[in-house]
Amino acid sequence: MELFNIFIKAAFVENLVLAYFLGMCSFLAVSKTVKTAFGLGLAVIFVLGITMPINWLINEYLLSETGPLGFDFSFLRFILFIAVIASMVQLVEMVIEKVSPSLYNSLGIFLPLITVNCAILGGSLFMVAREYNFSESVAFGLGGGFGWFLAIIAIAAIREKIRYSDVPPALRGLGMAFILTGLMGIAFMSLLGIDPAAFQ
Amino acid sequence: MESTNYVVGFTLAMTVIVALTLSSLFYGTKDQVAQNADVFNKRAILSAISAKLDKPVSDFSDQDVLSLFEEKVEQKVLSMDGEELDGIMAEKVDMAKEAKKPEEDRQLPLFIYNGGGEKVYIVSVRGSGLWDAIWGNVALQSDFTTVVGASFDHAGETPGLGAEIKDNPAFAKQFGGKKIYNDGEYVSVGVIKGGAKNLAYEVDGLSGATVTADGVDEMLFRGIKYYEPYFGKAKG
Amino acid sequence: MAEVKTAPAIQEKEPLFGKKEKKLITDPLTDNNPITIQVLGICSALAVTSLVLPSVVISVAVVFVCAFSSLFTSLLRTRIPKSIRMIVQLVIIATLVTIVEMVLKYFSYPVYRQLTIYIGLIITNCIVMGRLEAFAMANKPWRSFLDGIGNGLGYGLILVGIALIRELFGKGSLFAGSAAEMKIIGASPDYIINTMAEGSWFGWYSNNNLMVLPVAAMFIIGIFIWIQRSRNPDLVDIS
Repeated sequence: MELFNIFIKAAFVENLVLAYFLGMCSFLAVSKTVKTAFGLGLAVIFVLGITMPINWLINEYLLSETGPLGFDFSFLRFILFIAVIASMVQLVEMVIEKVSPSLYNSLGIFLPLITVNCAILGGSLFMVAREYNFSESVAFGLGGGFGWFLAIIAIAAIREKIRYSDVPPALRGLGMAFILTGLMGIAFMSLLGIDPAAFQ
Repeated sequence: MESTNYVVGFTLAMTVIVALTLSSLFYGTKDQVAQNADVFNKRAILSAISAKLDKPVSDFSDQDVLSLFEEKVEQKVLSMDGEELDGIMAEKVDMAKEAKKPEEDRQLPLFIYNGGGEKVYIVSVRGSGLWDAIWGNVALQSDFTTVVGASFDHAGETPGLGAEIKDNPAFAKQFGGKKIYNDGEYVSVGVIKGGAKNLAYEVDGLSGATVTADGVDEMLFRGIKYYEPYFGKAKG
Repeated sequence: MAEVKTAPAIQEKEPLFGKKEKKLITDPLTDNNPITIQVLGICSALAVTSLVLPSVVISVAVVFVCAFSSLFTSLLRTRIPKSIRMIVQLVIIATLVTIVEMVLKYFSYPVYRQLTIYIGLIITNCIVMGRLEAFAMANKPWRSFLDGIGNGLGYGLILVGIALIRELFGKGSLFAGSAAEMKIIGASPDYIINTMAEGSWFGWYSNNNLMVLPVAAMFIIGIFIWIQRSRNPDLVDIS
């Protein structure tokens, strides 16, 4: 149940966007319609879910002093992590292009931007900082991705509706998106009250 | 499109240059970084006994911290039964790793400050706050009851709220003079939301950071209790 | 300095720091600000803006990484194979960020401990990557370098601006954690004795806890954008 706990915590309480601001750029840029937000959200879950375990293995067996190489290569951590992420994103890009060209067109330039989506690298760095084990890091990756997915869908739905509201011109679009994100963050904070022990 | 050879060559050249730059920097700074980390941890331990030191810990230079530790601090590692373990320094005990072990297998670091006069026993505790791990050091007089002082740190509490356990000196200062026993019963030092009622063994919580303060409370109760078998033996 | 008369053959030569170059630095500070206009780089560092000191450190690091990654990318721009362009850029950035991390660990370990993963996240700061793609891949090294500095500064400006507001109203202090720490407004941080702190104003002011929460940064950026776009209606989002 420890794993379920980590999943819930990563998805709601420690939501990567709303509590840590990770992945804000694509979160704001691709949340104009629910359809594209849905696609990007799925891609993030997928990339996070894959890269976390791979990066865990790399960190544990290649970089750490206790691994088979017996050398402290921690200074290569950033480079290797980002390389894994970049190649995984390329893979997702190819898959989406094959499966759904329309989704591919609408995601446009933002798909490569998943590479520089801080949520992905941030997940891996959190994993190292918190010393998760293999299964914990998988749970954290999936939970974090799911939380990100929920957040972007929610903001996209709100932004679709808010177009019919009378927002001051200077605040339209980006400005309003920031304020909405802030309000959503407050809403998600109420989830801090969840006692993970209740799920056990 | 470039030839494959060119791409491979470029990649190789880049890898070599990057690896050489970073590894030489890494090994050039390694010793100093290790010392910085060491000083950082020792400062945290010393700030628990700042009441016994003649100037604030921040006024000590790195070298002062190291030599003070060398000369006046005795290090012991204890088993959960309170037995002293040989061949290991307390500063080498990684509290994060110990916290993952089953309780009965853990090793407990103990620092004994001997600056003339009574000895001061500094115990280390670790728990979880709102977001992530929190930890601290609590200094006790040789009666193993009266608290001399405490210091706390955290991995990722909210600055201005939970992070106040470290950033606000007033929080740690409250611990001086508290007793961890009440009429012979172990009570630890309670961190009480809304203000301490039993001033002998309770301190005020932090406004706006209930979860972190509860974490400190839990960590102290559990963490200091681990040392009880040793206290019993040391008191004889 | 007087304009040097140049022969037609070398007319293309640009002054080292002329009007155009100056614009490269000043533009990102206002009308083309990476955060409020280009919507880049909001992610990685906002969480550190609750205090001024870490924000300044992160800003300096971003300026450094942005400037030098632009410089190196621009130097290599004709040599980088197109097929692995992104990876090459990321490796350049990641290397520079690793260097920043090492320098911090070496010279200022407590600050490093405070920032931890947020240094690594500079890699995924979209400003850096965005400028490499949009500018450095197509421009000469010196101009790319300036563009990097400008965008880094534009980013830092917003970051430190947010941090000033959040720390002042959230903690009542400025530059907490550094040697220059000041208590500006409100009661003493000592919540046991609720008196006015030395050198502070408005003893009745009680810290606003909303400001220390991450969401405050969102509201503040929203308001920054509002102000900026009200003053310059050309920037208003039509969609």
